[in-house]
Amino acid sequence: MQPLRIALAQIAPRLGDLEANVARHLDLLAEARAGGAGLVVFPELGLTGYQLQDLAGEVSMRLDDPRLAQLAAATKPGLSAVVSFVEESADHRLFIAAALLEDGALRHVHRKVFLPTYGMFDERRFFAAGDAIRATPSQLGVGMGLAVCEDFWHVSTPQLLALDGAQLLVNVSSSPGRDLALTSEAGLGTATSWRSLMRTYAQLTTSFVVFVNRVGVDESLSFWGGSEVIGPTGAPLFSAPLFDEGLYMVDVDLADVRRERITLPLLRDERPELVAREWRRLIAERAGLTADTTAEPGSAPGFDVAVER
Amino acid sequence: MSDLAPPAESEPMFELPLELAIDTNVARRLIAEFIRGQLRQAGFERAVLGLSGGIDSALVAFLVAEAIGADKLLCVMMPYKTSSPASQGDAEAVVAVLGCAVELVEITAMVDGYFGASGPDGVTAGAGTPGAGGADALAASALRRGNFMARMRMATLYDRSVSWRGLVVGTGNKTESLIGYTTLFGDSACAFNPIGDLYKSQVRQLSAAMGVPEVVIRKAPSADLWPGQTDEAEAGFSYPVLDRLLYWRIDRRRSVNEVVALGFDRVLVERVDRMVAGAEFKRQVPPIAKIGPRTAGVDYLYPRRRPGSSRA
Repeated sequence: MQPLRIALAQIAPRLGDLEANVARHLDLLAEARAGGAGLVVFPELGLTGYQLQDLAGEVSMRLDDPRLAQLAAATKPGLSAVVSFVEESADHRLFIAAALLEDGALRHVHRKVFLPTYGMFDERRFFAAGDAIRATPSQLGVGMGLAVCEDFWHVSTPQLLALDGAQLLVNVSSSPGRDLALTSEAGLGTATSWRSLMRTYAQLTTSFVVFVNRVGVDESLSFWGGSEVIGPTGAPLFSAPLFDEGLYMVDVDLADVRRERITLPLLRDERPELVAREWRRLIAERAGLTADTTAEPGSAPGFDVAVER
Repeated sequence: MSDLAPPAESEPMFELPLELAIDTNVARRLIAEFIRGQLRQAGFERAVLGLSGGIDSALVAFLVAEAIGADKLLCVMMPYKTSSPASQGDAEAVVAVLGCAVELVEITAMVDGYFGASGPDGVTAGAGTPGAGGADALAASALRRGNFMARMRMATLYDRSVSWRGLVVGTGNKTESLIGYTTLFGDSACAFNPIGDLYKSQVRQLSAAMGVPEVVIRKAPSADLWPGQTDEAEAGFSYPVLDRLLYWRIDRRRSVNEVVALGFDRVLVERVDRMVAGAEFKRQVPPIAKIGPRTAGVDYLYPRRRPGSSRA
């Protein structure tokens, strides 16, 4: 297996300015290709900016949009790229999408499944949630798993992608920096949380994790960058600087996946049929279709213990 | 000065509660990006702010100078006749360090033009000729006068915003915003605010890290509306205590009983809770009666800056 050069496009998209962002993507695709990259990854909503609100319906694209075709064409010959935008479906739902473009064609689209709508986030108000978590084959010779930001705050996402055949997990993000407590790693609570999540996922799925987070400012939110590549042992191979815009190149040896999966056969030992069985039981119990088998008599729904707290 | 020995018992410049300590390098970087982003998205290159001689506006001046260069910053000093001369001296010290543009705009004529001549202390009623506010305004309270001064400073900054071709940068901190120690459409008015999510203690920590003159960091915070006024004497609590209380109540969502268990005085907790609730209106855009199909702030929701909104 050939070594792979991954280009992390840690950019600051212009909010709502699709044309400017497309132009920037085309420039960086050319720069990455010239630098010998095989895979270029752009952040969540890199083509539109994040805090869109009612602009979402004004910058949305159908999958046959000529601007996507233009970006796909820039991957010919031989390049792979992950770009993110607002996808409008035929029935006019708007999704936060990440697409794998390869060798001139749009190969796979992932629609963000988990839309944070709490605290500073209001995504469910403006967007529809995706319904699938599927790995995709890639010309890179490995399975790829695409996920968008909050998708990785749900442990099922990386697990499903890895069991579905992904060896390279790609998370594209627009993560706003917050919690500057002095006690945090890198002085930023958000960075600390993300790093522990991604190292854990890389190790538990024995896969590469590529995380690309944007920089720049939308309204009150400052995005912190800190894009990373983590190897299948869970060890970080590269950490981009916080807040600096740039195209960062990282070389990885995809054969590390095989070595690690033979050394640490966690995926071999997964028990998807057991997990599915227990999920089915939980689903029936949570819907009230059957009694909660693990609860004490007299306990309230969703709470296993009968005693008052 | 490194060649001078520190005083034998040098006091720390300020008290920094442990849970409020921030990484000042990350804060500087984040705020610099924020300032540059706000200006660029609005199509501006320059900024203007009111420099009082106090720590908040001094810190913002340092932050703006770091983000865009001191040559693109205008500091306006806007004393009233009773403002402490020491405040102006401190403001001048900040300007001297930064090397930014500075203007002096005395607001005395603007304020007295409305209230009429005031008494000898400059604040209480006098026996002079009524101003534009009528005879009743001669007896105006310190609150009315203080609010009016803040709004004259706002009006001055927004005028200079046009002549300087720069955005007005806010200088209010999180503590005063939460307890409502601000004047609506006065000192809280701005195009954007880089320090509005920093408690006073964090303002002090960041100021020390950035090299704000020590005299500015050490002095007792004051609205400088009358001689000898200090925030802490007027409000009846110290900033480190208030900051910690607000942090646990608001940022860390602790209940009244839980913060009392942490050691805060219940009477203080309940009083501060009332202040925060009573100031909610100052932190929000006024509601518009919903009548049409799409209403600003209700179901017409656009980012402040988008393609076409830049003046450039």
